[in-house]
Amino acid sequence: MAEGVDFESLVACYYEPLYQFAFSLARDEAEACDLTQQTFCIWAAKGHQLRDPSKVKTWLFTTLHREFLGSRRRQTRFPHIELEQATAELPSVAPVTANRLDAAQVIETLACLDEIYQAPVALFYLQDYSYLEIAAILDVPLGTVKSRLTRGLGRLHQMLSGDTTVPGNQPPPPTS
Amino acid sequence: MNLDEAKTILLLYRPGTTDPDDPEITEALALAKQNPELTRWLVEHCARQEALRAGFRKISPPAGLKEQIISEQAARGKTAVRRQRAVFAAMVAVVLLAGVALFWLPHRQSTDTYAVYRNRMASVALRGYGMDLLTNNPASVRGYLARNHAPADYVLTAPLDKTAVSGCAIEDWQGTKVSMICFRTGKPLPPGEQSDLWLFVIDRSRVKDAPPAGSPQFTQVNRLGMMSWTVGDKLYVLGTEGDEPTLRKYL
Repeated sequence: MAEGVDFESLVACYYEPLYQFAFSLARDEAEACDLTQQTFCIWAAKGHQLRDPSKVKTWLFTTLHREFLGSRRRQTRFPHIELEQATAELPSVAPVTANRLDAAQVIETLACLDEIYQAPVALFYLQDYSYLEIAAILDVPLGTVKSRLTRGLGRLHQMLSGDTTVPGNQPPPPTS
Repeated sequence: MNLDEAKTILLLYRPGTTDPDDPEITEALALAKQNPELTRWLVEHCARQEALRAGFRKISPPAGLKEQIISEQAARGKTAVRRQRAVFAAMVAVVLLAGVALFWLPHRQSTDTYAVYRNRMASVALRGYGMDLLTNNPASVRGYLARNHAPADYVLTAPLDKTAVSGCAIEDWQGTKVSMICFRTGKPLPPGEQSDLWLFVIDRSRVKDAPPAGSPQFTQVNRLGMMSWTVGDKLYVLGTEGDEPTLRKYL
């Protein structure tokens, strides 16, 4: 049972990575704060139902991601635009500066990816999660995670390097 | 594995992690060691991976977020405790009210008892009523009551059978029809009155604790003397302004 997990210790351990993940997804400080806070709020209400304390971190990231998806379903202010249609609006990240990215540039670049790639890519870099862990957090099959990561990272690297031959930069397959 | 396949696999390679444990990545890394072009690509790729990883990790939460989460949760906890107390208090109140109701309801005076019925009929006689049928013919009275589904199969005592009828009315007692047969005793009537002796007949089952069959019971209700008795399935209440001996003359 995860009942014995101290709330303050839990917040101290995970509020920063959770906020980073939330900000990667929402790209808005206030919304990221809300998502982080809401995640802990849900933990306070339902965390006792978690039987395996070793899964607390995964549980928190999964909950935050679900909350984000829920908030997105309620909002329609971010219309979906295909990457090909938005090429002109993409941030120009010069290859020479790619090695000195700051957080804002990373987030801007991530924002140019299709939404289905953003969460796995963020988890991939933020926490060095394994594919299995990312699959568990996002509640999708392992193969789907690998496929999304390959395509998401391919596009990300393409934008950073300006190299159109970067692997993984093919049209997205049907979502599994 | 060709060059493009190796690049695709190595896209997922993060230096410093357990990724090299993946057999495909192991194989692609081995190929990179042998292929100068792939080696060059891998070096650039690893640099970008590091830059991206570092960039992501530069995202920092605003100052005070941790404290805000903890303090708001503490406030929520207090609110929850207050809500629980309020709910508990409400439940206690409901239980107390239910207890009081359970205690009080059985002791409350029932409104369908014989005493209430008798008093109600007394007030009908004393406070004025309108006769539905004015007639001196007892058969007409019985017929009218029967047609209107009021008790009509009543049994009159011998003295009452000889007393002059002046009409009848149908009263309501908690949804049940009551036959009111009006008589004249022969005494001078007050102005505007057409009867001074009344017999009320109702189904006995509709009146709780009605007097059992046997000797009639006398009760004085205000200035009205009332005699009650039961015959068969009917309860009879006879009333007039007078005392018990006056009423006994009609039994």
